[in-house]
Amino acid sequence: MDRVGLRQQLEELLYREAWLLDQDRLEEWLDLLSENIHYWAPVRADMNRGKEDFSPPLRLAFFDDNKDGLRLRVARIRTGAAHADEPPSRVRHLITNVQVLETPGAETAKVASNFLVFKSRRNREENLFVGCREDTWQLHGGAWKLDERMILLDHNVIENITVLF
Amino acid sequence: MIDPKNLIDLERRTVNPRVFSDPEVHQAEQERIFTRCWLYVGHESQVPNPGDFVAGFMGEEPVIVCRGPDRQIRVFLNTCRHRGMLVCRVEEGNAKFFRCPYHGWTYDLEGKLTGVPDYRKAYHGDLKREEWPLLQAPKVSSYHGLTFACLDEHAVSLEEYLGDFRWYLDLQFNRTESGMMTLPGTHKWTLKANWKFAAEQFGGDNYHTMWAHESGVRTSIAEQFGGDHPWTNDWEAKTREGHGWINFAFADPPGIAEVVGPYTAWLRRQARNRLTPTQIEQIGCVHVGTVFPNFSILSFLGFLSVRVWNPRGPTQLDAWSWGMVERDAPAEIVKLARDIQIRTFSPAGIFEQDDGEMWSYCTEASGGAYRRRFPLNYQMGAGHERADADRPGLIHPPPTEIGVFGFWERWRRQMANEEAR
Repeated sequence: MDRVGLRQQLEELLYREAWLLDQDRLEEWLDLLSENIHYWAPVRADMNRGKEDFSPPLRLAFFDDNKDGLRLRVARIRTGAAHADEPPSRVRHLITNVQVLETPGAETAKVASNFLVFKSRRNREENLFVGCREDTWQLHGGAWKLDERMILLDHNVIENITVLF
Repeated sequence: MIDPKNLIDLERRTVNPRVFSDPEVHQAEQERIFTRCWLYVGHESQVPNPGDFVAGFMGEEPVIVCRGPDRQIRVFLNTCRHRGMLVCRVEEGNAKFFRCPYHGWTYDLEGKLTGVPDYRKAYHGDLKREEWPLLQAPKVSSYHGLTFACLDEHAVSLEEYLGDFRWYLDLQFNRTESGMMTLPGTHKWTLKANWKFAAEQFGGDNYHTMWAHESGVRTSIAEQFGGDHPWTNDWEAKTREGHGWINFAFADPPGIAEVVGPYTAWLRRQARNRLTPTQIEQIGCVHVGTVFPNFSILSFLGFLSVRVWNPRGPTQLDAWSWGMVERDAPAEIVKLARDIQIRTFSPAGIFEQDDGEMWSYCTEASGGAYRRRFPLNYQMGAGHERADADRPGLIHPPPTEIGVFGFWERWRRQMANEEAR
């Protein structure tokens, strides 16, 4: 497939994924993830220019989940007792700046995208989460599955995170 | 003028909701609590070398915790003596000096004003530099590496301030010869909530666990909590200093014992000559505690994190939390400590989120003029707490709120200027 075609295909996939999250179709969202997914979001810090290093394996993160961890998050929401999301939030994922970074093989694509996630809940509660994601998608039996996602939130002090990115 | 005696009723065990939203109460707290109490500022392991620093807050005041060339840890107010600008705007690093970006006043690592641009021309040689050092906390002291600072030069020593609660800190932070270290990175989050909802809860609210955290308990640790009988063998302590401690006695849980069991066993072996048998029994349990006013501890099956609750005005709080683990813990345990903290008690953690919801809407819903006429109820367990031969302070089996009200007893004394200084 040519580069433009691949980007279009992946863009559509990212939009579809965001649609599922916004529609609270979390079980279908889980189906887009590979069984080996690594889903993580390092904490940020105010450091001198060029000194911020969020990659060390032991540095804290907002998320660091495998598939079971994400399944547990969904199951928890489905108990109806996840109080920080009851009544549920109105969530909108805006996904932009989609870029195919690399295609190490015919069945793997590294994709970057920016996000702006708006969350509104109860009368006046509103949050905005902004950042970028670096994904690795892999073809499994003809279907793209998300294998790795690094979520770089552009926030240092953050509000309660009840959404998925 | 705020009179805390009108806000806290010791006989009835009630608290007026004003304490959670009134700007006047908030202002009085800045004077009577945050400039007088010992406040946690970081762990020694965060600044191992001369010049290492971390920037944080004591209440609402920005501070720098810095290890000097003489290896001594000092706590500076992060504000220039000239116009008050921050002299350090990054949160960690290694410095040779702190230079204000506004006019270039420069301070050495002992806080001395060493550089003033155009010193002779601008001040005609009249400025007495030695009179304008960085402001510095007059008292800084560490307990098992936990570093506290106090802005009151007449304050009691840190040991006296921690008092009976040291026994509880010992069983967490003195388990091994090597001591503990802080993991890299800080969880920072903010809530539209009064800081005391968080501090009092960690100091003794075990009652909320099965309700506020029902979703997380049901999906992840229900079996370990013992189904319908969560309180068997649990207990809670309050010390006369106003510090509180919750013990959830579910060590060696069936589901994850395979993973944490060897770690717990290793800790117990190491602790044999350091702790009492009663303390050792608790290794691997779940503990939650608060050192008055705003330093809290959370030990989830022995995996530790510590945090501070800093006010940002009466109805906003910033929580900062750090992971801690034994310096010589095996690599897989260090990783597990980090992962457990991220998944359970962090801004996206499956338990932490619930608390944020409660504290925020407690703050919002209890602040009205009419609501304030009616007090909040803290009567649970009143009069049933008992002294115990093996454990300092007063003990009560849960559910109870003795530790929560202990926080308020101390708050009342502190706000009435009745605490020993």
